[in-house]
Amino acid sequence: MHRAAHTALCDWPQFVKPAMIRQSLRCTGSLQTSSRAYSVIPPPRDREEEEMMHRMLRVDHAGEYGANRIYAGQMAVLGRSRTGPLIQQMWDQEKKHLAKFNEILAENRVRPTALLPLWNLAGFALGASTALLGKEGAMACTVAVEESISEHYNSQIRALMESDPERYTELLQMIKEFRDDEMDHHDTGLEHDAESVSVFLIFALDDRLLNKNISKGSVVLNN
Amino acid sequence: MAALLRGLRAGRLLRGLPSVVAAPASTNQQCSSLRRSFHCAALRLQDESKSDKSSASSSSSSSSSTTHHEHYQAHSSHQDTEAASQQDPDPNSSDREQDEEYETEEQLQAQILAAALEFVPLHGWSMEAIAAGAESLGLSSASTGMFPNGSGDLVLHFISQCNSKLTEILAEQHNQVQLGQAERKKTADFLRDAVETRLRMCIPYIETWPQALSILLLPHNIPDSLKHLSTMVDDIWYYAGDRSTDMNWYTKRAVLTGLYNTTELVMLQDSSPDFKDTWAFLDNRIQDVVNMATTAKQMQSTGEAVAQGLMGAAVTLKNLTGLNQKR
Repeated sequence: MHRAAHTALCDWPQFVKPAMIRQSLRCTGSLQTSSRAYSVIPPPRDREEEEMMHRMLRVDHAGEYGANRIYAGQMAVLGRSRTGPLIQQMWDQEKKHLAKFNEILAENRVRPTALLPLWNLAGFALGASTALLGKEGAMACTVAVEESISEHYNSQIRALMESDPERYTELLQMIKEFRDDEMDHHDTGLEHDAESVSVFLIFALDDRLLNKNISKGSVVLNN
Repeated sequence: MAALLRGLRAGRLLRGLPSVVAAPASTNQQCSSLRRSFHCAALRLQDESKSDKSSASSSSSSSSSTTHHEHYQAHSSHQDTEAASQQDPDPNSSDREQDEEYETEEQLQAQILAAALEFVPLHGWSMEAIAAGAESLGLSSASTGMFPNGSGDLVLHFISQCNSKLTEILAEQHNQVQLGQAERKKTADFLRDAVETRLRMCIPYIETWPQALSILLLPHNIPDSLKHLSTMVDDIWYYAGDRSTDMNWYTKRAVLTGLYNTTELVMLQDSSPDFKDTWAFLDNRIQDVVNMATTAKQMQSTGEAVAQGLMGAAVTLKNLTGLNQKR
């Protein structure tokens, strides 16, 4: 995997065009993949806007990375159970989100957050520990996490709309799509018996605290 | 300070005239009458200078004539707005005027510092060099007052100039590769060439470079010098093809920073012809890094293989002892 990544990095310019074509073919419908003709992020007007954009993208990337690891933790425990395929499906969608953010970060030369190893461990631990409490635990974790992520995306959408909706059209479209996906995961979690009240309460509190701290922590520590 | 600047601008304006050279504010009277007589000619030049201004670069040679016009335009527009200041001043033009002043002041500073670089081998990285530079441009040596952090400003200016040159070179190479006119270099070679190119730019000032480094380590200069270093390292990795978005981003840049700093220190003490020893040192360090990366990869794959072996042994044991059966 490292060698593949290494060669991918070294041969980057040669692979730009074919990758673009491959990506557009791989498009599974709703998500409009970026071609090299334009980028999701408009070119920054000034230093301030650039920093604001970079901060936003960094926090979003950290969030998707964390979500990815949470699902990985859940799969590690519940992978071979009945809920395995369901969790795998949700995980695949998160992987697509993460890939999209990786692409945006690379294109816009955004620094990734330095706390990535922390989110790696914490996410995996959270996913695995909730999955150990069974399917209800895993679903409760999913519901709580997805709810916080959706709130986070909503506040970003609001901020972008307040500042300049026309300028950020593509970015807004992308974030809205991701938020809708996260809401779907949230609803899926609810459908699959997450409503065992005590478990749900515990996780809602813990996860909301955790995720608020994750996003605030990333914002504060990465500025 | 503002009066000093106006005096400086007046001095630049009238540089070509026999009557006035660099002068403080006392010559303002003469300047204003001469300025009005030049006003008609300036109107013709204003259009050109407006278009020049929008694409003004900071390289001293091309902009010396442009700044002359800009200084003049700044003055004539300043005069006009002063004369008409009783009426409602247009906020746009006053903003633009402030921008013009800001730009020309920065450009002026850049020009003085660029001229001062010639005197660095003589005076070191100090205020004397800046004063000598200012004088060589025909300005009074009192213009060192524009640089409260004199030697720091000079060194930082030189560094940012070198970094811009490096970025241009790297971008040019990148374009050539894109156009297929050049072969893509391997990462190790690319890094080696980039570091060597950047360090060679210091060679003209190598005698005084230890002084420059110690200036950069002063507490009030550290934030700026770190910023320049980190943007340079980021640029080199970007053009080397790094698009990582995980911890590799940090480790790669840390490695290259270490590489660059140690090679720079070695270069200071190198007395071999054309710094052969320094480039040999650089080669060896890059080889070390490559070896470390290979070793890390090997360790990881070995670790994975061992883990799989252990899992297999555990499953076998469970089967043998019958623990795996569901009874």
